[in-house]
Order: sequence, then structure tokens, then C-alpha cells
Amino acid sequence: MKLALASSPASVESARKQPAIQVSNLSIVFDTKRGQMIAVDRVSFDVAPGEFVCIAGPSGCGKSTVLNTIAGLEVPFEGEILVEGAPVYSPRPDVGMVFQQPHLFPWKSVRSNIAHGPRMLGKSKTEAYAIADDLIAMVGLKRFADAYPNTLSGGMQQRVAIARALANQPRVLLMDEPFGALDAQTRAVMQDNLLALRDRIKATIVFVTHDIDEAIVLADRVLIMSAGPGRILREVAVKLPRPRSSSVMVEPAYLSLKKDCLDVIRAEGLRAFNQSDAD
Amino acid sequence: MVLFPPPTVVAAAVLEWIRSGQFFSDLLASLFRVTTGFIIGGALGILLGVLTGQFPVISSLLSPLFHILRPIPPIAFVPIVILWFGLSEAGKLFLVVWGVFFTVWLSTHIGVQKVDRGLIRAALMLGTPRRQMLQEIVLLGALPYIVVGLRTAVSISFYTLVAAELAGAFAGIVYRIEIAQQNLQTGQVMGGLAALGLMSFIADRLFAALAERIVWWR
Ligand SMILES: Nc1ncnc2c1ncn2[C@@H]1O[C@H](COP(=O)(O)OP(=O)(O)OP(=O)(O)O)[C@@H](O)[C@H]1O
Ligand SMILES: [Mg+2]
Repeated sequence: MKLALASSPASVESARKQPAIQVSNLSIVFDTKRGQMIAVDRVSFDVAPGEFVCIAGPSGCGKSTVLNTIAGLEVPFEGEILVEGAPVYSPRPDVGMVFQQPHLFPWKSVRSNIAHGPRMLGKSKTEAYAIADDLIAMVGLKRFADAYPNTLSGGMQQRVAIARALANQPRVLLMDEPFGALDAQTRAVMQDNLLALRDRIKATIVFVTHDIDEAIVLADRVLIMSAGPGRILREVAVKLPRPRSSSVMVEPAYLSLKKDCLDVIRAEGLRAFNQSDAD
Repeated sequence: MVLFPPPTVVAAAVLEWIRSGQFFSDLLASLFRVTTGFIIGGALGILLGVLTGQFPVISSLLSPLFHILRPIPPIAFVPIVILWFGLSEAGKLFLVVWGVFFTVWLSTHIGVQKVDRGLIRAALMLGTPRRQMLQEIVLLGALPYIVVGLRTAVSISFYTLVAAELAGAFAGIVYRIEIAQQNLQTGQVMGGLAALGLMSFIADRLFAALAERIVWWR
């Protein structure tokens, strides 16, 4: 069976393509007042080109740390990260990032926030603004192109942040709980927007969340992490049909996937509880 | 002599002051000292504040020195300034620069250090070269702090003007007040005080209006 699969055209194709992201044996240690703390413990995973992977896990399990390391903002203590086959030492413009807070430049209008990346990569102002205007239309903020960030709602700010991250046409888009600070309604809208956007940009996406529903709605694959130290507990492939929207959450297939995930999380929770009881 | 001259006496003294032409030469002399001192002190303060705020090596060299010198009131420097500069204009500028510099330096230093790390990370992810980080992110992020420092320094430049002109001058609003006091012309003293207060008030208002424009995104 395995052999038959290996010779099928699909897997020949995937063997030829190298993964967009390869994380191998990544460990990250922080120096704290109480000594060294292992934040991330030998985490390994690959992300295929164009794949949408969600990393889900409780607060403090090291999701942001893993993402920041892929971004080149944090240095691995041990292990290696390859993006498109090349080791990551520092941020690179073909890897975009959307943070939990929008972190928009308050002194720039929506348009010049989005144009910032292309400008820094040497594009002329006209070119950069043309790119920005396309993205502004894509995220539905045409009326706000000249507005300053402090006049926008949280959801609109995060849309600008997404557009800004896309302006350099990144091959990899990293998203760290980008909708975590939004209310439930706005959040569902943003998830649908992101799914629609994703079909147009063809970037590989790694999306961090602590919300298992969000993870299943968005992802091709969910990596469930556990805390203290951060490890990957389980990989769950999400074979729900696309195009998808947040209304998939009432489908039976969705619910059985969610049950699988919750079982893993519950078992881990119990284990951690019993362990702390034994200490 | 009257200790508390009625407004009419003050008004008469001020009119005479204006008519003699001395008022304008005094005003010009004082304005020159305040603005030149403010500009030089402010520019040095911003420059060194950015350097110490941005580069830990420079900060470890200069910040301790600045923190020791900063609390010394400029007026305490009057005797040494007279020894160093005599009665020249340079000595007076030195005092105003001294007063303005530390306030602007400290607020710039703090502003640069307080620039949101999140903005810097976002800028790094967008391919902002280290070299451009200063002008694109750090300076603008620190700008609100710098403006507050400059605004405080406007009043300080007037305090130090008093010290500067008491250190021996040949023209100036405070110099005129001192001369009038020696001649027991209380009307002229009061008029001089009013002129000084008005100057300082107008300067502060002008700067406040300017500040709104400098930090344009607020
Ligand atoms: N710079 C740092 N110095 C010391 N400890 C850190 C640092 N950054 C993160 N940590 C610790 O590492 C662990 C993982 O942090 P991380 O921010 O990656 O968690 P997270 O999964 O993103 O949590 P959340 O869902 O709350 O964002 C936490 O215990 C955190 O306290
Ligand atoms: Mg996090």
C-alpha cells in the first residue's frame, strides 16, 4: 500500500517540492530570574508549500515563541529552521508576520502603512501606493485609505495589518492570534475574510491560536501543543471541503474533528493536573 | 519711592520705555538669547538623546555624567560663566543652552527607549534596514516625548535667561528690571516683569500650537 502510494504521481510531486518550512528539533530556552526555563521542547514539523497550518494550544505553551523563531525574531537554542530550504537567521521580507496587536505605525495613514514594506524594498512611491491600493480594496477599506490607525476599529486595524504583511508578497505568512483581541462576531467575519483572501494569495500560512474552533475552520492541518514545556501533542488533518467558511462549524464532520481535538486536549489536561498533584 | 505702584505709574513707565527705543533693543537682546539658546540646546539635546537612547555603549559613557550635571541649577553656574566668558554674549547663551539641553536630552533619551518594541518588530518583518529604522520608526516613535521635552524647555529657557542677564549684560528685559530696581523705579520693574511674563506666555502658546502640528497623527 505504502509502496503504491509512493509511486503515485501526487507523492512524486510532493517529494520533488521541498517543504516551505522545516522545523527540526527546535528547543528554546529563556533565562529567567528563577534560572533557565524551557519554553519549547524539541518541536519538529514541516509545512508544505501553500499549506495552511494552525498551531493550537493553551496560553503560555510557546506558540508565539515558535512563530517568532520561524520569523527570525528569536534565535533557536537548539535545532534548526529552514524556510524554502534556507536556514533562518533574521527576518526576511518573503516571510510576513501579523501579530496579535496590529502594531500599525501610528504616524502613517492606512495607505502608507501598507506601502511601507514595498518602499523599504526599494519600490518607488507610485509603485508602492499602487500595491497598497490593490490590497486596500482586497481587505475592503477603500473609504479609509487616508485615515490614521487611531481612527479605526480593532477589526479594521487588523485588516490593515494583514494587508501590510501581504504587500511584500510573502511566500510564507505567519499569523500570531491575529483575531485574539476581537469580539466573537468580528472574529467570524475576519476568519471568512482570511479564507477568501487565502485563495487569492497562495502563500503558505502558519496561524497560531488558542481557539480550537478557529484552528479547525481555517486549517488544512492542526498541530495541538501542550504547555510546560511546549511540545507538539498531536497532528490533526482537517479534510473539510474548501472553499470553507465559519458556517462549517455545524457540519457533522467538523464536530467529529473537534471531538478528536478536545479528547487530546482533555487527556493532556488530566495528565498535567495529576502530575502537579503528585509534586 | 512706591513699593506697590498703581497701574498708571506702571503704564507710564512702560510707555517711556517704549518711546526711548530701549524696549525694542531689550526685547531683541532677550529674544535672541532665548531663541538661540533654545535652538542650540534643543538640537544638542535631541542629538545626544537619540545617541544615548539608541546605543547602550554611548549611554554608558555619557548618561552617568549627564545625570550628575543635570540637577545643578543653571544659576549656580553664573560665577564660573563670568570667569570663563566674561560679560560676552557666549556666556549668556551657554547658560540658556545648559538649561534647555538636559531637559530635552532626558525626554529624548526616554522617548527613544520607550519606542514600542512591537513597531520595531513589525518594521523588521517588513524589511526595514537597520539604518532606516532610526528615521522611519525610532525618531517618529520618540517624537511625542521630544515635543513634551521641548515644551518644558521653553519655560526653562526663560528661567535661565534671568540668570544669564543677571550675570552682567548691556541690554535685555531682565537687565532693565535690574537697573530699574537699582534706581528704585518700581514702575519700570513691574513693567519689565509684565513684559517677561507676556513673552514667556506667548512663547509657550506658540509652541503648544506648533506641537499639535509636529505630532500630526494625534
Ligand atoms: N523573552 C522572554 N523571556 C522569558 N520568558 C519568555 C520570553 N518570551 C516568552 N517567555 C515564556 O515562554 C513561554 C512561552 O511563551 P509564548 O509567548 O510563546 O506563549 P504563547 O503560547 O504564545 O502564549 P499566549 O497564548 O498567551 O500568547 C511562557 O511561559 C513565557 O512566559
Ligand atoms: Mg502568544
